[in-house]
Amino acid sequence: MPGNARTGAEGRGDSGRASSGPGGSGGGATASHCPYCALQCAMTITPATPAGPAAARTVATIEGRDFPTSAGRLCRKGFSAAELLGSGERLTAPLLRGPDGRFAEVGWDEALDLVADRIRGLRAGHGPDAVAVFGAGGLTNEKAYQLGKFARLAVGTRLVDYNGRFCMSSAAAAGNRSLGLDRGLPFPLTDLQAADVVLLLGSNVADTMPPFLQHLESARRGGGLIVVDPRASATARLTADRAGLHLQPAPGSDLELLLGLAHVVLFEQLADTEYLAARTTGLEQLRRTLAPWWPRRAEQATGVPAESIRRAAHRLAEAAARAREAVATRREPGKVFVLTGRGVEQHANGTDTATAAINLALLLGLPGTPAGGFGTLTGQGNGQGGREHGQKSDQLPGYRRIDDPVHREHVARVWGVAPEAIPGPGVPAAQLLHALGGTLPDGRPGPRMLLVHGSNVVVSAPDAGRVLAGLRALDMLVVADFFMSETAAEADVVLPVLQWAEEEGTLTNLEGRLLRRRRAVDGPPGARDELWILAELARRLDAPGTYSTVASEVFDELASASAGGLADYSGISHALLDAAEGIVPRSAAESAGVYWPCPAGAPRNDDGSLGTPRLFLDRFAHPDGRARLVPVRPGALPAGDAAGLRGRTTGPAEARRSELTLLTGRLLEHYQSGAQTRRTAALASAQPEARAELHPAAAARLGIADGDWVRLENRQGTAVVRAELSTAIRPDCVFVPFHFAGLGKVNRLVTDATDPVSSMPAFKNTRVSLARVDEPPEPGPAPPRTPDPSRVRPGTAPPRGASR
Amino acid sequence: MSTPERVVVVGFGPVAARLVEDLLPAVAAGTLALTVLGAESRAAYNRVLVAEVAVGRTAAGAIALADADELRRAGVDVRLGATVRRVDRSRRRVLLDDGAPVPYDRLVFATGARPILPTLRGLDFAPHAEPRLPEGVAALRDLDDADLLRRVVADGGRAVILGGGVLGVEAALLVQEHGAQAVLVHHGRHPLPRHVDDDAGRLLAHRLCAAGVQLVSEARAVAVQRESDRFAALELADGALVPGDLLVLSVGVRARDELAAGCGLATGNGIHVDGRLRADTEDRVFAIGDCAAVDGARPSGLIGPGWAQAEWLAAYLTRHRTPPVPAPGPADTLPAVPPSASPESVDPLPAASLPAEPPGAILLKARGLDFTSGGDVSPGLWDTDAGGRRVSIWADPQRGAYCKMVTEDGALTGFVALGLPRTAAELVLLYERGRELPADRTTLFRLEDPVAAPAAEPGPDEVLCRCSGATHGQVATARETGCTTVEEVGRACRAGTGCGGCRDRIEAVLRAAAREPVGV
Repeated sequence: MPGNARTGAEGRGDSGRASSGPGGSGGGATASHCPYCALQCAMTITPATPAGPAAARTVATIEGRDFPTSAGRLCRKGFSAAELLGSGERLTAPLLRGPDGRFAEVGWDEALDLVADRIRGLRAGHGPDAVAVFGAGGLTNEKAYQLGKFARLAVGTRLVDYNGRFCMSSAAAAGNRSLGLDRGLPFPLTDLQAADVVLLLGSNVADTMPPFLQHLESARRGGGLIVVDPRASATARLTADRAGLHLQPAPGSDLELLLGLAHVVLFEQLADTEYLAARTTGLEQLRRTLAPWWPRRAEQATGVPAESIRRAAHRLAEAAARAREAVATRREPGKVFVLTGRGVEQHANGTDTATAAINLALLLGLPGTPAGGFGTLTGQGNGQGGREHGQKSDQLPGYRRIDDPVHREHVARVWGVAPEAIPGPGVPAAQLLHALGGTLPDGRPGPRMLLVHGSNVVVSAPDAGRVLAGLRALDMLVVADFFMSETAAEADVVLPVLQWAEEEGTLTNLEGRLLRRRRAVDGPPGARDELWILAELARRLDAPGTYSTVASEVFDELASASAGGLADYSGISHALLDAAEGIVPRSAAESAGVYWPCPAGAPRNDDGSLGTPRLFLDRFAHPDGRARLVPVRPGALPAGDAAGLRGRTTGPAEARRSELTLLTGRLLEHYQSGAQTRRTAALASAQPEARAELHPAAAARLGIADGDWVRLENRQGTAVVRAELSTAIRPDCVFVPFHFAGLGKVNRLVTDATDPVSSMPAFKNTRVSLARVDEPPEPGPAPPRTPDPSRVRPGTAPPRGASR
Repeated sequence: MSTPERVVVVGFGPVAARLVEDLLPAVAAGTLALTVLGAESRAAYNRVLVAEVAVGRTAAGAIALADADELRRAGVDVRLGATVRRVDRSRRRVLLDDGAPVPYDRLVFATGARPILPTLRGLDFAPHAEPRLPEGVAALRDLDDADLLRRVVADGGRAVILGGGVLGVEAALLVQEHGAQAVLVHHGRHPLPRHVDDDAGRLLAHRLCAAGVQLVSEARAVAVQRESDRFAALELADGALVPGDLLVLSVGVRARDELAAGCGLATGNGIHVDGRLRADTEDRVFAIGDCAAVDGARPSGLIGPGWAQAEWLAAYLTRHRTPPVPAPGPADTLPAVPPSASPESVDPLPAASLPAEPPGAILLKARGLDFTSGGDVSPGLWDTDAGGRRVSIWADPQRGAYCKMVTEDGALTGFVALGLPRTAAELVLLYERGRELPADRTTLFRLEDPVAAPAAEPGPDEVLCRCSGATHGQVATARETGCTTVEEVGRACRAGTGCGGCRDRIEAVLRAAAREPVGV
């Protein structure tokens, strides 16, 4: 029985720290990547020398590391990430909520025994689906894989899903439907550096992944950056000074805008007819659904002038034609790309909108050619790998389908179980979280126990108030985290885990490139790797199969499980990636990279890369090798507040006057629910609270001055934040970042509406009413601190854990 | 499972095509048997784009909205070139010209509208037949008309367009844009009389002339003059002749409602239907699109409302079976039965009735001339009243810009905008959504040309590099401590090490230092 001491099997067997090599950056420096977004900027982590100045708890320093995707650059989030390694707020021992509602430190055995007992008990009393598991797009490939396997085999539940459902599911569903395969960028990111025109739809990369901007420079130089965003975001402003075009559609009309763009391309005879004939199916049907979207009609739906739509379409089509011509005459093409982000995807028609973007790219003859392509910009650190390896409710590792008998059989063989031992499809994230302690959409009882790994759903989930109520209705909530996040603060058992610089593993970046995350420093003595936690729980649950605690071994198993699947990793291993990345100094092979699909035995490509840097060059991933032009059109408006301000208003004049469309999004200084970045002094001081970005015209109508407190309210809930007036936003919108807890928790207002295909929540287009509030409200609770568990939650919730 | 309900659609234009498309799932599920009777020999196409086809901007084959063969494969009984002689409501069947009966449980009229033919000497027409026009005269309603216009445009000829409505103005500009000569002959002082006030009308006329269109205003046409049986000139009441190679008639359309009138339904400016698009009282006969007068109102002639009706009706027909009646029975004697959800239906009801929309906005389909209008724009600046009406006007005729906004309680009830594309697009949204305008109306004009914030001298605490948060002051300090390159500044304070977008600004700081005399 392992005690609290760390065992040697927790990952030390991996390649570990790189010693300084020739040209290396000094003693003990480790080559790794950023903990935050999917750009995964390369960094060098250097542990602080114990003899150094006693700068408060400085555990390591970070420098940008030369790498093709980031070129040595880091944003503010990345270079301040080390601050959190030595944070005084780290969780350092398992916490158990006592009968008095307060947390108390307990040993690992006690915590894990309790969790396992409750799983066993609920499973016996209510069946395995009484326990649900919730993962994250921030987990390494190894952890994501292991978590899905643990849920299906050790717990036996079908109820597993993850927060990537909030990010990538619509683009993924569209990619699978149209192209047969979803890989965020099906080409290396650096291909953008040869771009003439980039159409960027609903993505504010200038704030979300600043080092990405260097890849847009080529398009900007030629005046070819076209940004679609209802806000004049930092990214949209990059189109100023004749660097491109900014189209500012009314929220929720991105699909109509794309139909208008595609209409111009097709009906003004600018499409690549040869490509369409050779590589796609469905043109005639698409033509019929596009026929009604002449530019003036698209204008009517979007608020974007017809002439701007036409100009953008011609810009794209003319550049695409030039690129084709260059390819045909063996010159270097000025490429054309269509890229989508959450702004157009997080809607009740997000899958169709992403599909319309793919259709546009196909009409231009781009995907799968050297002339350019279509891509979606993955958000979370491992948002790509996280959606491939079996923590999605409908998937098994390797992007296999859980309802396909052949796929089940393959994975069951790797897991050493009978196919029947793998449960069937579960339910997607929003529906799962909204069923906690209640009822699932199919009428079956919702889960009574939830294990959360790497996600702060109290802040990040839609209709967050309902999620919080659901968590409180559970028999037991177990949260694995390194800080006392708002979700952990609700838990019965909190399990402290390691941070990025303390663990080994791999991530798959936004271009499908495999990256190694390497241990650079030791974590706090009481924290544990999640692989170890899952293994220990599996053992206590007498789970079938094996649960290695060594990341490289888990990866090897993942590779076998993915073999022959769409996301085939079978030709990849930690050792191969270490060799390829050459740690320090960078080798030629590293810049070439390793991209999935990469089947075992795949030979090196001519440029030294391994796997498939560019997908679809010969064929798309459908059985007939062709891309599908899937006809899409706007459907009925979603019900309730999810319709935003679309449709004709009917309410009384006074109520109408205060209604705006709420857009949620991100700030440069924060990441996701803010659980990390709000604890980073440099970031929190720059952006300490959520603010409502509001047009002065709307503010004037509502009697709101800059800095006033305002209340946002709708059927779901309320948030109170300070107003910040800006002409960068449309007068009918209010923008609030979703990184904050307490009164500024804006996801409380987001509805439970989801996309019918992908189950992606509609974060982006919510009707709210806005009013000034005279008295500044009580300040939101400060982020709880852990060293003193009694301060965490002063008895606000009734004690749980005994019985429902 | 009961037998499928037989739905027969008379007409196969754009609105019918949308209805058919939305009924396909029910056809596939076996709950509906669908028959479509189209009079033209081709399936539905997008009439709005007929003029574009005429000038060769897009191909005729490209504007199809339906494919008859594909629909047939999907189980729809599509009959093209099928002319309906009459509808027998008592026996619930449609009789075709060849005498074949088509039985129905539910009937949808989507017969559209036909061009109004003006009373002109030289134009013969029989009131109850589809008109036959002489050579060189076209209505620009279907693809055959498009062929005629295409030839004139290809030869750089001269097209006389009679009628100053939306279609006439659009046709004139399109012809002009493609290198042919357009002559627009119209009644009033200026074109689009229903959509402009006097100032906007004069500016519009000015812009049309600037585009090369010859305007013949306040004209009344009386005759078509022919030479060797072809159109040669249009004769006006004052005796003037307007010669041309083609006469395009664009004086409006009239609902095709004769079939409905012939089977005892209420008509007049279209087939009268209620808010649920029902033309009868027993939930069996419906009308949509240009032939339907919803609550007695004249059809808008716009495609958007027609498609909205089609979508709504498809949902309604799918979810509400016909109420059971002793069949066959004389339809008119049955009491009105409110429709109710079928027992097996679990879907929520569609909205109780089609949501009321304001009169549709007009967005002129012309390049280089941004004209947008909606609602009643006749009130003048001082025609305010106690009801909260307010009128705002912006005019800059030399720049071709004009905008009038009429609001009631802050919400637009009428507007016209010329030469202000971005503002116009915004006004359309505000108008259609019934949302309140900014109290300061000039906000809407500032959208046109977002002015960059004046470049004030940045203070030391202002952020220079957004990615790192480094301020102008920090960069200046780095410079003062000896940094001479962007890279050195980056190492000193991280400015410029993120997205790299501020490198120009850092260089500017460094250059400024180089110019400054040492010691200052």
